[in-house]
Amino acid sequence: MKNRLPQLRAERGMTQADLADALNVSRQTVNALETGRYDPSLPLAFAIAKLFKCRIEDIFSPR
Amino acid sequence: MQAATAPVKYAGRDYIVEMIVASALYIGAALSRHWLIAIARPHGLEMAAALVPALPVWAMLWVVWRYYRRIDEFEKKRFLETLAISFGIGSCLLCSFAFAADAGLSELDITWAWPTLAVTWALAGGIMHVLRR
Repeated sequence: MKNRLPQLRAERGMTQADLADALNVSRQTVNALETGRYDPSLPLAFAIAKLFKCRIEDIFSPR
Repeated sequence: MQAATAPVKYAGRDYIVEMIVASALYIGAALSRHWLIAIARPHGLEMAAALVPALPVWAMLWVVWRYYRRIDEFEKKRFLETLAISFGIGSCLLCSFAFAADAGLSELDITWAWPTLAVTWALAGGIMHVLRR
C-alpha cells in the first residue's frame, strides 16, 4: 500500500524515532511502514490514524 | 512526542543484557559440570548436578519469550521468520550429523548443542537480512 506517513510526520516535525516512540513500535517498523515494505495491522493502523487525527484511508491507500 | 511507556524501545537492549547473563551462566555451568558431578556424586545428587547446565538453557528460553512478548508486530514477523529458518538449518545439521555418525564421525558433546543453535540463529539472521534488502 501507499501511505502518507513521511509527509504527516514531517508536517509535525517528528523523526522516525519520535513516531516509533509515540506508537510504541521500533524505528525499523516505522521505516518499513513508510517504505511500503510492511502493511500495518488494523490496531496499528487505527493507532496511527488516531495519532495523526486522520482517517485510515487518508493515510493508507492501495497501490 | 514520547509515549508514557515504551517497552518496545528497550526490548532489544534488555534482550542482549539478559542473554549475555544467561549465556555466561551456561558457559560456566557447562565447563564446570564434570567437577560439579564429582562433588555431588558422594551425596547422591549426581543427576541434579548433571542438570545444572540445563537451567541457564531454560533461562535463555525465558529471555527469548520475554523479548518476543515485548516487540511489535513487524519485529514479531521478522523474529518468527528468522526462527523458522534457524530451525530448518539446525534440523538439517542435526540430521546430517546423525547420518555421518554411521561413517564413524564421533558423537558431538552436548556442550556444543546450544552454541550450535546460536550459530544457526545468527546464520538465519544473516540470511534474512540479505533477503530483505
